[in-house]
Amino acid sequence: MNQAVLFLLLLLPQQNDGSRLAGHVPAAALPGVHAIIARATQDSLPTEPLVEKALEGGAKGAAPDLIVTAVGAEEARLRNARDLLRGAGAPGPYGVSEIQSVSLALARGLPDRIVSKVVGAVRDTAPGFALHAVADLSAHGFVQDSSASLIVAALRTGLTGHRLLDVAAAADREVQRGSTRMQALAKVRAILPAIPSQPVPPGAMQGATRPKKSGG
Amino acid sequence: MTVGEGPSGSSDAEVIAQVLSGDVEAFGVLITRYEGGLLRFATRMLGSRDAAADAVAEGLVRAYRHLASCRDPARFRTWVFRIVANRCKSHLARRPVGDVSLDDAPPLAAPDNTDEGVERTDQLERLERALAQLAPEKREAFVLKHLDGMSYEEMSAVTGERIPTLKMRVHRAREALLAALREPS
Amino acid sequence: MTHDFDPRIHRALDGELDRTALTPEERTLVERLDAASRALSDFPAAPGGTLTHRVMGIIRRPLQSPVERFRRWLTSPHPVTLSLRPVYSVIVAVLLVALLWRAPETPLLAKHEGVAQFVARFPEAHSVAVVGPFNDWRPEATPLSDDDHDGVWDARVILPAGPHEYMFVVDGERWVADPMAGKYVDDGFGRQNAVMEVRPVRSE
Repeated sequence: MNQAVLFLLLLLPQQNDGSRLAGHVPAAALPGVHAIIARATQDSLPTEPLVEKALEGGAKGAAPDLIVTAVGAEEARLRNARDLLRGAGAPGPYGVSEIQSVSLALARGLPDRIVSKVVGAVRDTAPGFALHAVADLSAHGFVQDSSASLIVAALRTGLTGHRLLDVAAAADREVQRGSTRMQALAKVRAILPAIPSQPVPPGAMQGATRPKKSGG
Repeated sequence: MTVGEGPSGSSDAEVIAQVLSGDVEAFGVLITRYEGGLLRFATRMLGSRDAAADAVAEGLVRAYRHLASCRDPARFRTWVFRIVANRCKSHLARRPVGDVSLDDAPPLAAPDNTDEGVERTDQLERLERALAQLAPEKREAFVLKHLDGMSYEEMSAVTGERIPTLKMRVHRAREALLAALREPS
Repeated sequence: MTHDFDPRIHRALDGELDRTALTPEERTLVERLDAASRALSDFPAAPGGTLTHRVMGIIRRPLQSPVERFRRWLTSPHPVTLSLRPVYSVIVAVLLVALLWRAPETPLLAKHEGVAQFVARFPEAHSVAVVGPFNDWRPEATPLSDDDHDGVWDARVILPAGPHEYMFVVDGERWVADPMAGKYVDDGFGRQNAVMEVRPVRSE
């Protein structure tokens, strides 16, 4: 009975994903991609990011072996992301978007130890914005450890979610005003939590539409 | 005055937030802050003060109407330069190729009738002619780099071009202007 | 006629090489270019405030869309006499209701959704689309528009709050990472995707 259930569990996602991938991913890549998706399903990892990576490769005209390699790398990153969440003591269960945002932060170049440090400080909320605030600072040339320390300090003053992106933006603005990066981090830390927030412009939602995914 | 900040100390981001919250008059602060640089850029691009004033005015009106889509208010300067650069391209596209008039180019700040002054005027005219004869994309790159003092990263944000492409354009523009200075008048 | 200059001159002018490393002849050329830039930058200021006055005058005038002008015409008193059979009166009434009632343009967003504003400058393009995991990387799914044909394309897309990878597809064939994104990630296929963080419209 358990084997039958497992067989169905393995089969069903592939049937759904299979219809989404067929015609959009080279046929030569499909066996390898399906095998990776099946393994992820068995290990309770999110599979949607893997389907998306395969579709991305197909849309970009990548060679089949490159698509399989990229999907495999994505699976490894998702696995690492979940392990880091567990290791940092983040309360489970972990949603797809939570694991994905940690995976993307890793892809943006944050090392495991920085991810662990930030996830450990976030506690009860999702770590995505905190991690990407650190990644934003890193992309602007700030030292990763110092960036992580600033975001952790911001978390301790009660700032959470997208407000942490404002912290990163404030540090970047200080550099544009002529401060060195270390000076900028110190200035922003000194004014926490009173960081100006980015206002939502009036009319920003007008005409906005929801994107459509292909049927599955 | 630091780019992005005015005598009052309000950053561009702060002024933009004011405008978006309904204070239309606050947009005047941004116009005053950037009109000089924008006019200089547009005049060198179009070779005409009047055309430049039109292009900059159109660009600033458009910037106001689309202020909500200025994704990074701290980089307002490059964003508004991009809009005005597009308006200049539209103006140029409506003209016959090569028709960049110097007749109403701006006069020197202080006309000087000494021998040195006459030589400076002659040199400036040669430079302006050489600048006008550059292809628009090279002219734009030179003006942004050497007259507006932008970094290549800022120029990339204004033009949408890759940095290596911009460097090549600036280099060719420099060579053309220096060659113009060497030629006998 | 142009001359090919030593790349060292360009590197010095770009701030990538100390000018003291140049030969005297090279330094002369650099100084000549600096002087040329100063001369071209020497710009008499415009008469004070004229541009500000002109622009502020335009933006103070309220914008009226064609629909609003028509609605104002409909709702202001005009002497119009119509003699219709009752059935035609009903049809006209239904048509008027359909014209006057405007479905809200502002969509309802869930608590953890936000609006991603995609803006790109491609003045020579005939079409620009944004692609990402949110539309299965399909260029036909989310086109940008350039209604005033000034080369600036944009679209607003409702997405879950958080980071999103994306690229632009120009004229259906050229894939471009948004040069204004400032944040990128390797896509695993030899290119880079831009990254945008969508903020929730409603605060937590």
